Amino acid sequence: MLKYVLRRILVFIPTLIAITLLGFVIMVSAPGDPVERMVSAAQSGGEIGSQTANQIEQKKFWSKKLGLDLPIFYFSLNTLAHSDTLYRVYDRNERNALSRLTSEYGNWEAIAAYYSAIDELNSAHGSIKVDSTMAMGYSVDKVKQDINQSYFESSALKATYNETVINAKLETLSEIYSAPYMTILSDKLDIVKEKLEAVRQTATPWRVFVPVVNFYPNNQYHRWIFGDGNWVTGKGSEFTKGVIRGDFGTSYRTKMPISEVIATKIFWSFFFTMVSVVLGYLVSIPLGIQSAVHKDSRFDRISSIIVFILYSIPGFFAATVLLMTFANPDVLHWFPASGVEPVRGFPEGASFFEVWSGRFPYLILPIISYTYGSFAFLSRTMRVSMLEIVNQDYIRTARAKGLSERTVVYKHALRNALLPIITVFANIFPIAIGGSVVLEVIFTIPGMGNEVFQAIVNQDYPMVVAVLTITGVLTLVGYLVSDILYAVADPRISYSK
Amino acid sequence: MSGQTATSQFNFRQYAWSQFKKNKPAYISLWILGVLACIALFAPLIANDQPLYASYKGHTLFPAFSFENVYELELENGSVEKIQLDIAKWKQMKLESVLWAPVPYAPNRSDYLNSDYKSPSGEQYFQTPTGEIIDMPARFRHYLGTTEKGEDVLSGLIHASRISLTIGILSMGIATLIGLVLGALAGYFGDNKLRTTRGQFYTFIVGLVLAYYYAFMLRGDMLSDAIGTSGAALLLQLLVSILIFTAVCYLFYWIGKLVGKLPLLRSTRNIPVDSFISRMIEILISIPGMVLIISIAAVAKPSIVNLMLIIGLTRWTGIARFTRAEFLKIKNLEYIQAGQSLGFSEARIIFKHALPNGVAPALVAIAFGVAAAILIESSLSFLGVGVPPDVVTWGSLISSGRQNYAAWWLVIFPGLAIFVTVAVYNLLGEGLRDATDPKLKT
Repeated sequence: MLKYVLRRILVFIPTLIAITLLGFVIMVSAPGDPVERMVSAAQSGGEIGSQTANQIEQKKFWSKKLGLDLPIFYFSLNTLAHSDTLYRVYDRNERNALSRLTSEYGNWEAIAAYYSAIDELNSAHGSIKVDSTMAMGYSVDKVKQDINQSYFESSALKATYNETVINAKLETLSEIYSAPYMTILSDKLDIVKEKLEAVRQTATPWRVFVPVVNFYPNNQYHRWIFGDGNWVTGKGSEFTKGVIRGDFGTSYRTKMPISEVIATKIFWSFFFTMVSVVLGYLVSIPLGIQSAVHKDSRFDRISSIIVFILYSIPGFFAATVLLMTFANPDVLHWFPASGVEPVRGFPEGASFFEVWSGRFPYLILPIISYTYGSFAFLSRTMRVSMLEIVNQDYIRTARAKGLSERTVVYKHALRNALLPIITVFANIFPIAIGGSVVLEVIFTIPGMGNEVFQAIVNQDYPMVVAVLTITGVLTLVGYLVSDILYAVADPRISYSK
Repeated sequence: MSGQTATSQFNFRQYAWSQFKKNKPAYISLWILGVLACIALFAPLIANDQPLYASYKGHTLFPAFSFENVYELELENGSVEKIQLDIAKWKQMKLESVLWAPVPYAPNRSDYLNSDYKSPSGEQYFQTPTGEIIDMPARFRHYLGTTEKGEDVLSGLIHASRISLTIGILSMGIATLIGLVLGALAGYFGDNKLRTTRGQFYTFIVGLVLAYYYAFMLRGDMLSDAIGTSGAALLLQLLVSILIFTAVCYLFYWIGKLVGKLPLLRSTRNIPVDSFISRMIEILISIPGMVLIISIAAVAKPSIVNLMLIIGLTRWTGIARFTRAEFLKIKNLEYIQAGQSLGFSEARIIFKHALPNGVAPALVAIAFGVAAAILIESSLSFLGVGVPPDVVTWGSLISSGRQNYAAWWLVIFPGLAIFVTVAVYNLLGEGLRDATDPKLKT
C-alpha cells in the first residue's frame, strides 16, 4: 500500500509540472502589456521628459517586480541573428520592432547600435533648455512645439520596423531639424542615419536560418515557481516567494497579493460545494438503491425520468428561473436576490446562531441550484452501479441463505455499489476551489468562481492562472485520496504490483 | 443472446441498429435532432426580415436568396432606385405581392415600435406601408416576444441554433479526431510495441525541433501579421507552415533511418506511446474543464471559431480513453494478427482494420460530448466570455433576460431550447450505449 502511494506521488510530479507549465503558458501569452497595466498612465504634459522619465522609472520598477526583465524559460530556441538579451527591452512594442528588424537584416550588433543612437537622440531632448537665447529670435512656443513633435517622432521610431515608415519618419525629423535652433539634435539624427545605413550595409540575413539553443538558469518560470530568493529555502526574496511557497504574485485588479484574495474567497465556494455534495449523497443514495432494487417499477421509471430531466437542465437556466420566481418582487419575493448575507452585515458580537439564521434565506436558492446537478449525477451513478451488483452471484447466494431483503440490499450490495461513488468525491476539491463559476456569478456569491469571472472581465491574468493551477493541484490530490479510499474500501483491489 | 444470432451471419452493426430502434426515446430523439439540424441549416429561410419573394414596381425580387446586398432597379420613368437589402424596411414598402419567411424577422434587427420587452401575449404594434400605426396583425406578431431593443426572440432562437449545433458538432469533430487517433495509438502500441533504433529516435526529435523552428518560429512574424489581415491569409500562411513542418519531419525520418545504421546508435529502444498519451490525458482531466476553458477563452480573442477550437482541444480525453480501452482488447484478436502476418503496415492495420471495429464506444462518448459542448457554449455566452458580444446565442438571450425578470420569455424559451438539445443528445448517447454494449442487457 505504502509503495503504491509513493509510486502515485512520483507520477504526480511530472503532472504537476505540466499543470504549472500550462498555467504559465496561458499567462505569458495573455494579450496586453502587464507593465503598461501596472503603471497608471499619467498624461504627459508641461515640461518635456519630466513625467515620462518618471513613467520610465515606474515601468522599469514594475518590469523588475513582475520579473519581466528575465528570459521566459530555462532554455530558448533562437536564431543566430537574434540577441538572447532582447527580453531586457522592457517595452513590448520596441521589443517587437527590434526582433523584426533583426529578422530582416540579421545583424544584431548593428541594430543595437542603431537603437542606442535613437535612444541618445531621445534623451538629448531632455537636456535642451528653451529660452530666448536658444530660440534665436524664433517664438519660444514654436520652438517648444517643434521639440515636442521631434520627441514624439523619435520615440515612435523606436517601435517602427517597416522600412518605408522608418524612412518617412527620418524624413519628417530632418524637416523639423532644418530650423537653425535644432542643430544639437540634427547632429544626433545624423548618427542615427549613419547607423541605419550601417545596418543595411552589413546585413547578414542568412544568420536568421541558423537555430541556436540558449540556456538560462534564472528565468521567469523559475522565478514564478521558486521565487526570487534562494530557491530551496526562499530566503532573501525581494518581490515574490514563489508558487511553491503559496505566493502567486500580485493581482492586476486589486493590486493585492493573490494568495490573500484566495484565502478570503475560498470559504463560500467550499461551503456551497460541501453542503450540496452532502445533500446530494443523502438524497441520491437511497433513491438510486430503490430504483435499482425495484427495477422497471413505476417508481423507477418516474424517478429516472425526473432525474434525467434535471440532468439535462443547464444550471444557469435553473438558477435564473429560481431567481425569477422566488426572488422577484412581482411574483414571489420569498428570498433575497443576491449575496450571502445582509448588505449591512451583522452587528458587532452577533452570535453564531444569529449570523447563520440571518444568512439562511440567502443560502436557500443557491443550495438548491448547486444540489440538483450533483443529485442527478449521483443518483444515476448509484443506480447503474447498484444494478450491476444486484445481478451478481453473491447477492443471489445471500438471498438463498434466507437473509432478509433489507440485509441483502443494505449490507451486502450497498457496500460494493458505493465504490464508484467514492470516485466522485475526488471531484469535490477542484469544484470547491474553482467554484461553480456560473452559479456564483448569478447569485453574486463572494467565492472563487466569482473572483475568476471578475478577473477575466478585468483581464487579471495572474489571478486566473493562480486559480487554474491551484485547482489542478487539488484535483490531483483528490484523485490520489480517492484512489487510496478505493483501496481501503475494496479489499479485492490490490495495488502491490 | 439466442444461438441463431451468434452464427457467422451475425452482423454487429445490424444488431446494434435494431437494438437502438427498440429504444423508443433514443429513436425519437434522433428524429428531433434531424428536425433541429434542418432548422439550423435553413435558418435564413425560416426567419428572415427580407421577403422570400416580392414583386416591387414591376420587378420580381428574391431578396432572401440574393447574394448581393444592393438591388439597382430601373423604374419606368428611367430613374434608378437603389435598395440595400439588409437595411431596407421591407414591411413598410409598397410591395404588389410578397411571400414572407415563416418568421418575418431577422435576429439582431430592432423593431423600434416593439422595443422595450414586448411580451408574447401583450400589445404589439405595426406600421403599415401607408404609415399608419395599427395593432399587430397575426402574421407579423412576435410570437415569443421581443428584447429590450425590439429584436424578435423566436428569430434569435432559430439563428442561435446554428451556433449551438455547429459548436457542438464541430468541436466534437475536432475532439473525435484527436481522441480516436491518440486513443488508437496508445491502445495499439502500448508501451513496448513501437520499437525504433536509438539513432532514428534522437534524429527524429531533433527533426521535430528543427521543423518547429523553420515552420513556425521563422514565420512567426508572418503568421501574426496574417492574423491581423484576414482569415484566408491566416489559413494560407498556416498551410505553408504545416507543409514546411511535414517536409522537415519527413526529411529527418529518412535521415534517421540512415543514422540508425551507425554503430552505437543501432540498438533499439521502446517508444512509450501509451505512457505519454495517458499522462497527457491525466493532465487534461485534472484541470476542471470549465475553469480551463474559461481561462483560455479569456486569453484568446472572442470568436466562435476560437471557442470551437478550445472546446475541441480540451474535451477529447473521454473519447481517447474509450478508444484506448477498446484497442487494448482488439490488438490481441486474430484478424489483427492475420494482418500483421500478411505484412500490412501498422497504419493500415490501425486505421483500416481496427478503427472501424473500435469506434462504437467512442460514439457514446461523442454523443455525450456534444451535449456537454453545447452546455459549455451556452454557459460561456451566458457569462459573456469568449463569445463576441454581437452574436445572438441561447445563452446570451438568457443573460439579457437577467436584466429584467419581468421579461420571462427571454429566459424560458432559450432555456427550453438548450434543454431540448442537450436532452436529445443525452438520450442519443444512452441509446447508443445500450445498443452497443450487450453487457448492459439484463
